[in-house]
Amino acid sequence: MKKIVTLVTICLPFFLNAQGFQVSLQGQKQQAMAGAGTGLITDGAAMFYNPGGVSFLKSNSINVGVTHVTSHSQFVDASSSKVSETTSPVSFPFTAYAVFGKKNSKLKYGIAAYTPFGSTIDWENGWTGRFVLTHLQLFAVYVQPTISYKINEHLGIGAGFVYGSGKVNLQRDIPVTDSKGNYGHAELAGNAKGYGFNAGMYYQPVKSLSFGLTYHSDVKMKTEKGTATFTVPASLSSSFPSGNFSTSLPLPKIITLGIGYTPCKRFSLAFDASMIGWNTFDTLTFDYEKNTNELQDTKSARNYENAYAYRLGGQYHVSRKVDARVGIKYLVSPVKNGYVGPDVPDATHFNYSAGLGYQLSHHITADASFTFQHMKRMDTNKETQMSGTYKTNIYMPGISINYNF
Amino acid sequence: MKTIINQVLTAASVTLLLASCKPELDIPKAGKGSLDVSTYVAIGSSMSAGYADNALYHDGQLYSYPNMIAQQLRLVGGGEFKQPIVSPSSVGIGASLNARMQLAPVTDCAGTTSLAPAFSAASGDLSILATSVAATGPFNNMSVPGLKATTTVYPGYGDYTQGAGNFNPFFTRMTANPQANSILGDAVAQNPTFFSLFIGSDDVMGYAISGAAADALTPIAGPAGFGFDASIDMIVNTLTANNAKGVVAGIPDVKNIPYFNTIPYNGLLLDAANAAALSAAYSPLGITFQAGQNAFIIEDGNAPAGLRQIAKGEMILLSVPQDSLKCGGWGSMKPIPDQYVLTSDELSEVNESVGNYNTKLKTVATDKNLAFVDVNAFMLKCKSGIVYNGVGLNAQFVTGGIFSLDGIHLTPRGNALLANEFIKAINSKYGATIPQLNATQYRGVLFP
Repeated sequence: MKKIVTLVTICLPFFLNAQGFQVSLQGQKQQAMAGAGTGLITDGAAMFYNPGGVSFLKSNSINVGVTHVTSHSQFVDASSSKVSETTSPVSFPFTAYAVFGKKNSKLKYGIAAYTPFGSTIDWENGWTGRFVLTHLQLFAVYVQPTISYKINEHLGIGAGFVYGSGKVNLQRDIPVTDSKGNYGHAELAGNAKGYGFNAGMYYQPVKSLSFGLTYHSDVKMKTEKGTATFTVPASLSSSFPSGNFSTSLPLPKIITLGIGYTPCKRFSLAFDASMIGWNTFDTLTFDYEKNTNELQDTKSARNYENAYAYRLGGQYHVSRKVDARVGIKYLVSPVKNGYVGPDVPDATHFNYSAGLGYQLSHHITADASFTFQHMKRMDTNKETQMSGTYKTNIYMPGISINYNF
Repeated sequence: MKTIINQVLTAASVTLLLASCKPELDIPKAGKGSLDVSTYVAIGSSMSAGYADNALYHDGQLYSYPNMIAQQLRLVGGGEFKQPIVSPSSVGIGASLNARMQLAPVTDCAGTTSLAPAFSAASGDLSILATSVAATGPFNNMSVPGLKATTTVYPGYGDYTQGAGNFNPFFTRMTANPQANSILGDAVAQNPTFFSLFIGSDDVMGYAISGAAADALTPIAGPAGFGFDASIDMIVNTLTANNAKGVVAGIPDVKNIPYFNTIPYNGLLLDAANAAALSAAYSPLGITFQAGQNAFIIEDGNAPAGLRQIAKGEMILLSVPQDSLKCGGWGSMKPIPDQYVLTSDELSEVNESVGNYNTKLKTVATDKNLAFVDVNAFMLKCKSGIVYNGVGLNAQFVTGGIFSLDGIHLTPRGNALLANEFIKAINSKYGATIPQLNATQYRGVLFP
């Protein structure tokens, strides 16, 4: 006899797409030049952009900065034309760099702290994809002690150890309804940590030309004991036991080749080409400590491809005190057709950026930048069958203060 | 220092400005194509009336697929869509004067408590049938539970003086003149510019759900009001007389409906001792049992001793009392009575009728240049499972999210999916771009 049991399997895994979260906001000068800075060393942010070039910095410095990130996404459902929007809060990724070394020493050392991830996506209540994702917060801080050595006047090398610590909070509605018409809800929250390294080489054959090569290792951000909380009708509570879960998000390795060109004293160009190794991200797994017929571990196919980013930036020394910068970036999305989701509606896109630097005193400079990113992509997700167009605008103004000594 | 402050202020004000910059909307325009949807009338049976969870009740009516279609038609110039709606607080009323069903913990004969469909009240809300709402009409939704192709054209279909069983009280409550009016007459009196017709299910359903023990299949031949084909012709000719456009639906095969396919034919679970005992008892008939799954014993007047084992492909209906199966020895010591079983002979009669009706419905749609919805194809899709906006749905009873607790009629979410099938057919026939419904906005089964 077939029993009437209540099977409302969580058949669809949670979606996580880190691409758009990996904010390349690690220094205002570089941001103003589309994030290029591997082959052109300008300040302490070189600890992120190229540790090999840090030993070429002329002075010690402390540099702190913050970027104000506002993003708006919109989804137009293909069949119903219903428009849903995000109501995401503003986020503030920050950077802090301190570089030390004896004057004229070949060795420089320093410490860097920055936020490779730091944003939250909130989709409006009751939106089309509510059973896929309603809220996703990813926040991580990397701390990177770094050492850099100038082998000779032309060549420098450097490396840093990366410790990442962060938190994740992911929510969605569950398609079961209680007698009052309220839907179930799932919240997965936890802390994550991971390790990696960042190594670079800087080569300056002549004064006007320099090359950089960096390797940012992959960092597996692991959540060992997250807390899964399910709010469901009372009669289903035993089917959705709240408890622990584990997951991991593999942040990809990034290999970048950069060129810096300074044809005259007042003008510099920087060009970076990066390969972002997303192709290791083939499956996203959530492992629940307590499984039931309805609550199974989930494995969601991602099948990412490697992503490529090309960045071109220019800097013009306007006057004794003022620098002006512009940049353009082109990024080829790692997300194949059929895998675009509402977590980060990624698309191949351009970034446009500009910025100013101002010498406040002999020791202090201030830099400001502004970056705009627009993405648009139409897709039918293979797993959720959500079909429609995602549009996203991201605005990223930021400032930093640099103290040289 | 002043410069820093200035810079910060500038950055802050720029930021505030940008916070209001949202991506530009580009929403596809809704269009009605070659349609005039100003007056939409729906004709159908229980599914179209919003009957669900074994009763006609407020939420079922609110989420009837015709009401959902009307909601979308309003985006392209559709008018008001009136339904003979019952009170939101009412427990509703079903065909056996029962209340609507809901999921509740039910303790069975063996003392096991599990979640199962149960009536939400001891009796249905009789005031629904006793109170005429005709004064608030006429109603765009002219669908009533139990309506057949043949009875759609009956004058006096609501004539209560004919005695129980000879009139339809669901029509009586909504027509201005129960003793003279017909469904079709009340529908065309509204001069519809657009109509939907989903009729024919109940020409087989009454027969099928009673295990072929009650009601009868509507014959194909015969005049309007008696035969299926002539009734359909009369309905469609009347509806299109003023050049109204419309959509005609085909009807589903019973085998794709949970009421017929939820209980497995071989659901009789036996241990070795019981299997041996039953084999011994049935040895004169040559029926043997094994440990594990066995085919149930059913009543069959044509079999020796009037009983036999059910064959694969035959159906035990959801109406069979569960306690009798579990503890009453039904299906093992006693045969399952005829009214709970569709045998292969009965099933082929039913299937033949469904095939014939669908042929007629499809032909009439083609001949009259109307849109056609293949509801059976939709049911098949549901049966094999669909994923819709991140939600897995299928035709499983209770858990699938598409069928309501009676196993025949749809949940609001199921109705939204069905309405989308209608809209797709309308759009493709009439070059319209009426937006579909976002079905995840509507609920499935309610859990306590």
